[in-house]
Order: sequence, then structure tokens, then C-alpha cells
Amino acid sequence: MTNLRMLAAAAVALAFGAMVSHGFESGRLLALLTQATIYSVFALGVGLLLRQNGMVSFGHALYFGAAGYVVAILIQSKWVSAESAILIAVVGLAIAAFLIGLVIVRVPGVAFSMLTLAIGQMAYLAAERSRGLTGGADGMVIEWPATLFGVSVSLLQKPASMLLLSWGGLVLALMALGILLRSRFGGVTEAVRDNEERARFIGIRTLLPRAIVYALSAAVTSLAGVLAALNTSFISPESLHWSLSGVALMMVVVGGTRLLWGPALGAAVYFLAKDVLGEHAQHWMAIFGTALIVIIVFAPEGLSGLLRRLSFNERRMARVAATGTRAVAEREAGGR
Amino acid sequence: MFIHLFNGMTYGALLIIMCSGLALIYGLRRVVNFAHGSLYMLGAYIGYTVALKTNFWVALVAAPAVMAALGVALDRWGFRLLQDRDPLSVVLVTFGLLLVIEDLVVSIWGKSNLSVPTPPALAFSVDIFGTSVPAYRIGVIVIGLAVAVGLTLWLRRSRAGLYVRAASTDPVTTAMQGVNTDALSAFVVGLGTALAGLAGVVAAPFLSLSPSMSSDVIIDSFVVVVIGGLGSLAGAFVAAMVLGLVQAFGAVWLPGASVLLPFVLMVAVLLFRPSGLAGSRT
Repeated sequence: MTNLRMLAAAAVALAFGAMVSHGFESGRLLALLTQATIYSVFALGVGLLLRQNGMVSFGHALYFGAAGYVVAILIQSKWVSAESAILIAVVGLAIAAFLIGLVIVRVPGVAFSMLTLAIGQMAYLAAERSRGLTGGADGMVIEWPATLFGVSVSLLQKPASMLLLSWGGLVLALMALGILLRSRFGGVTEAVRDNEERARFIGIRTLLPRAIVYALSAAVTSLAGVLAALNTSFISPESLHWSLSGVALMMVVVGGTRLLWGPALGAAVYFLAKDVLGEHAQHWMAIFGTALIVIIVFAPEGLSGLLRRLSFNERRMARVAATGTRAVAEREAGGR
Repeated sequence: MFIHLFNGMTYGALLIIMCSGLALIYGLRRVVNFAHGSLYMLGAYIGYTVALKTNFWVALVAAPAVMAALGVALDRWGFRLLQDRDPLSVVLVTFGLLLVIEDLVVSIWGKSNLSVPTPPALAFSVDIFGTSVPAYRIGVIVIGLAVAVGLTLWLRRSRAGLYVRAASTDPVTTAMQGVNTDALSAFVVGLGTALAGLAGVVAAPFLSLSPSMSSDVIIDSFVVVVIGGLGSLAGAFVAAMVLGLVQAFGAVWLPGASVLLPFVLMVAVLLFRPSGLAGSRT
């Protein structure tokens, strides 16, 4: 896809979002879709790290929850406007993640996962214990001002506009990442992911790209955190807990990371499945745990990988039908 | 003063039992078992039920035995089938297992806190250096040290231990020398899981049973094995004791920051040694 086509696709997706958010009347459905969209952004961040760095983070709830806390605390303290609080949350967390990343991406493989888990849990405990600042385990209410970026907050928080806003965030994040990853930077990160030693041999500095990917994935995740903060006007330590990181990771695995939007698909499937399960919801952990194992064992590329394989086969079959089996077979044999 | 040292050693001993299981499984299967904390919890709850029906000492043997069987099954139908997969996807499988076990435990035993009484034979206190110390905790330290010494001797002195060390270094070459590495792995994963169950039963009388007990201990265990160096038993033993003591003294001297100390310790170690104190492998 060229950049131009990507822009066109984004425009179409935004128009589609606008149609959907105004087409539905049911508040429950809108709320469900909004939640699914916000977690799609979250999963996109976690998936980005896995896709471009090959690293599994068990602690990305850190950035999701911290974004909410930064916004909440800054608004409460009245030091800066709510708009700057949002900017500070996303940019500040990206910078913090870059600095953390410089240290932790050097830790290889599974140890990295355990390290992210520990750092995330440290933030959870810190938020739970410091009652004065964060309200401890009870959480805190975010007192949004009357208007945000010139738009009234009560209008923004209506289910339909909330869905449109988070959908817009998802589409723009996907488009920005899509364009960025097509550049030289994307190629460098993939080279480093596939073989760090060889990448170093051909003269690539390997630490910096990995730390930048980590920071980018944190920035996307904190964007999701800000959206969630706007959606619920409430933040509690649960948003930092490692089980939330686990849920996000589950969405990533279910969706697959071969395609950039795979994790977002995983998040959507997760929420729809949870809604359909309904009354069995108290056993959702066991059901999703089993589903996770089944998907990893039988479809390691996730749902998006499955879809891609299906559409590839279809396209190839259409081509075979059009030009005759032999010609294609010969061309393919020659091409290989 | 002495009592803090003592409490730290008790928790350290518990972590030794947990982390030796984690390190053993990692050594042979290259899998960081995220479900290890859930297995610990399952062991504790099984121990609770057995202790209720009979007594604590039966539970101390029965729960690890059940867990050992579970571990062998986990290796046979889990890790062995997935051994050619990317290690991270196996980690995610153990995460799925964690969710299933946690749900199972809540479904069977409920969400409320349960407690196991201290076994009557150890329900007294001893005076050491003028401090009265519960005998049960001395028992925990003794079990922890026994596990550490026993495993070290087994790995260093016995033929099976030699095979385990060889297979941890290079499973393919070891198999070529005629060692049945699949059976060996099944045994080691069974042993590691049994140790998680043992830790659960041992912890039950001095920590209460609740569905959150697994995440509390697994995080500390991960900190220990990362500090010690993945797959290194000696590193894990040292790091477990250090962590236990840091937490106990941190609670006294820096009550505000005590929960953060383990993580600060870990980050400090990793800054200077990215593969941990004793670790050289990734």
C-alpha cells in the first residue's frame, strides 16, 4: 500500500466510523463498541512492540493506567489546562518509556517479559499505596473541565461521539504507524528484530531503534489510556494491574501480529466474545485461557494471519482459473 | 531486630522452594512458567482440603505428589509437543494455563480467604537470643534449606543430576549420548511443579489462602530468578534470601517504599549485569 492509498483508506475508515456511531441508537452497543475500540488502541501498542521488536511485554498496563493517573493528577492540581495534561501524559510517558527502554530492551528474551511485569507491578503497588496522591485502592474521579479543545466535554462523552473519537484515534494511530513503518526506520527495526547481531554487522546501531519502538508502543498505549480516562472519568489501580497487561497481550495473540491491525481485530473479537458469553462471564478466564492456548498451538499467526492466508489462497486460485494452471505453476516455479 | 532477620529468612526460604522449581523447568525446557504461581496456589488449596480431611503432615506429602503428577502431564502433553516453538509462544501458553487454573481454583474453593492452622506439633515458640520465635517458621527455613542443599547435592553428585546439567547445556548432544531427555524433562518438570505445590502447602499456615496469593508470589519469584540469572539455581538461592531480607528490613526501615525495594534491587542489578548475578545464558 502506498502512502496515498493509506490516507484514502484512513479517510474511508473515518467516514465508516462516523456512519456507525450515528447509525446506532442502542447505548449499550455503542458503549461496547467504544470499549472495544479503546482496547484496540491498547492492543495496537502492545502488538507494535511484538511485531517490530519481537518482544513480549507483560507490563503495558503501566502506560495505560499511568496515562489516566497523569491526566487525573494534573487536572486535580490545576497546574496546567486539561489539554496540556493530555499532551503531557502521552508525550511524557513516551519519553519516560524511551528512558526505561534504553535499560530494559538490552535484557534478552523472556527475561524482558519478566522485567516488564515487575516494573508494571511496581507502578501498581505504588499507586495503591500512595493514598494521598492517587486515592489508593479506591481510585480517583477525573474532574474534566467544561470544554476540551474547544468542544464541550458533555458532548464528547456522549456514547456516539466517544465512539467516533476513539475510532478516530485508532485509525490515525494505525495510519501514522503504517506510514512510519514503511520508511527506512521500519526496515531497520525489522532487521534488528530478526537478527540483532547481523544488523550490528551491517552498521546499524541496534539499541536506539529498539528503545524508540518501545517508546512508540508506550505512546500508543497511553493514548488508549487517555481515551479510557475520558470515557469513564475514573481511574483506579486496576488499570495498572498486570492482569490487564495479560488481557491486552491475549488480544494481540488472538488477532496476530503479522499485520499491523491484527491486535485491533483481536480486541474487537475479545469484547464481542465476552458479550456473547454473557451469563457464563464468571468463567471467562478459563474460556479465554483455553482459547488462547488453542490459538497459539493451532493458529500461531492469529486471526489476521488466518484471514490473510485465506485471501491469499483465494487470489491465487482466481489467478489460476484465469490463466490456466500450468502457466502459473511454471511462473511460480521459475520465480522461486 | 532479630525477629526481622528471621521473618526475612522465612520468606526467603519460601522463595527458594518456589524459584528452584522455576529454575529447574527453565533449565531443561527453556520455558519460563508463568503458571508457576498458579500451581503454587493450587498446591496450597489441595493441601488445605487434605489437611482438613486428615492432617497437615499428610497434606505436606499428598499435595506435592498430586502436583508432581500434574507436572509430568504438563510436560508430556504441553512442553514436549511445543519444544520446537518459539519460547515466547510457549510462555503465552503457560499464561493461558494460568488463567484456567485461577478460574478452576475460584470455582472450587471460592474467593474468600481460607486459613490452615499451624500443625500442633510445631505450634509453640522458641527463645532465640531473647526473641520468641514461632517454631513453625523455623520449620519453613529448615525445609527451604533442605530443598536447596538436596537439589544441589542431587545435581552435583548423582548420575541423574549429571544428565540434568548436561541436558540444560545442550539437550541434543545429551540425547545423542543415549540419555532419554524426554523422560528426564518429564521428571524435572514434575519435580519443579511438586516444589511449587510444596511451597504452597508450606506457605498455607503463615500466609492465608486467597485467589490473589499466586500473583503476589510469582512477581517476587520472577524478581528472584531475574536477579539470580535465569536457570541458575545457586543464583536463585542467593537472590531469594537477599529478597526476603530486603523486604523484611525494608518494612521496618523504609515502610513507605518497602514494596518497591525488590524492583529497585532488580533494576540496579540488571543495569550492571543484564543477565543476572549468575546468568550467562539468555
